[in-house]
Amino acid sequence: MSINVLIVDDSGVMRAMILKSLRMSGLPLGETHQAANGQEGLETLSQHWIDLVIADINMPVMNGEEMIERMKENTEMRDIPIVVISTEGSKTRLEQLQQKGAAFIHKPFTPEKIRDTIKDIMKLGGSDGNQGTN
Amino acid sequence: MGTKEQIKETLYNVAEDVLEKLAFIFSFPEDERDQMDYTTAVATRVSFAGPFSGALVMAIAAEALPELAGNMLGIDEDEETTTEQQHDALKELINVVCGNLLPAISGKQSVFNVNMPEIVPEGESIIKDDRPQPVSVAKMDIDEGQCDLLLFIDGETAIQAD
Repeated sequence: MSINVLIVDDSGVMRAMILKSLRMSGLPLGETHQAANGQEGLETLSQHWIDLVIADINMPVMNGEEMIERMKENTEMRDIPIVVISTEGSKTRLEQLQQKGAAFIHKPFTPEKIRDTIKDIMKLGGSDGNQGTN
Repeated sequence: MGTKEQIKETLYNVAEDVLEKLAFIFSFPEDERDQMDYTTAVATRVSFAGPFSGALVMAIAAEALPELAGNMLGIDEDEETTTEQQHDALKELINVVCGNLLPAISGKQSVFNVNMPEIVPEGESIIKDDRPQPVSVAKMDIDEGQCDLLLFIDGETAIQAD
C-alpha cells in the first residue's frame, strides 16, 4: 500500500520541509500533491485520490479549520485522515481540532514525530520507521 | 504574564529552539552587544491580537539568509535559493517563533490570532510609530552574522514592571 498525500500550507518552504520529512520517514509514499490554501486543497481533493491530508491552520483565502469543516460535510472526503501541522499553541483551539478528528503536530517538528503521528492516525502500526522501505 | 526579564529569557529560549530545530542554525545570546544595524538587515514582522496585542520583528543579517533558506529547504550547499524562497523561509521562521512565544508567556489557555508575517520593505523602519519601544529584545550571534528579535506589546502597562 502506498499513501497519496496532500500537503496544504501557504509557505512553500514549509511544504518542502514536510515533504522532505515524509521522504525520510520510511512511510510508503505514493503521489504527493501540494496546495497553498484550503480552497486549493479542496480542489485537489476533488480531482485526485488522496489517502492523507497534512494541513496548516493559518492560511489566506481559506484557513485549515474551514477546509476541515468542508471535508467533513463531503461524503467522499469526510473519512480522509487529517494531520494538522501548525504553530497553534492554544489548548482551546487544539481541542476543537481534535473534536473534528484531526491529529496535531506542533511546529517545529521532527521527521520522527510526523512518521509516528501518521502511523497512529492511519493505523499502520509500529513506530520504528523501517517497514516498507526495502 | 511574567516580568520583562522572564519575557526576555523566554524570547531567547524560544528563538534558540526554533532556529536550531527548524533551520539547523545555532544561535548564541549576545545581550550586551549593540542592536544590529537594521538598515542593512532583512527584517520580517508579524502582528498578533489576543489577551494582549502587539508585534514580533526579526531582523537578520542578509548574508545569513541563503544558509537559512537552504537548510530549511534541505538543498545542497552549491545550489542557490531565490530571494522569494529566502523571504518565505524568514516568514515561516518568525511565524513559528511567534506561535511558540505567545503561549509561553501568556499561558496555554490563551487564544491569539496571529496575522500573516510580512517582510519589512527596504528603507522602511522596523519600528512602527505606534509601537515606539520594544518590550524585549533578544540579540543573538549566528554563523553568518547577527539576528535580533524585538517584541512589541501595545499598552506596555499590561506587563508587570520589573
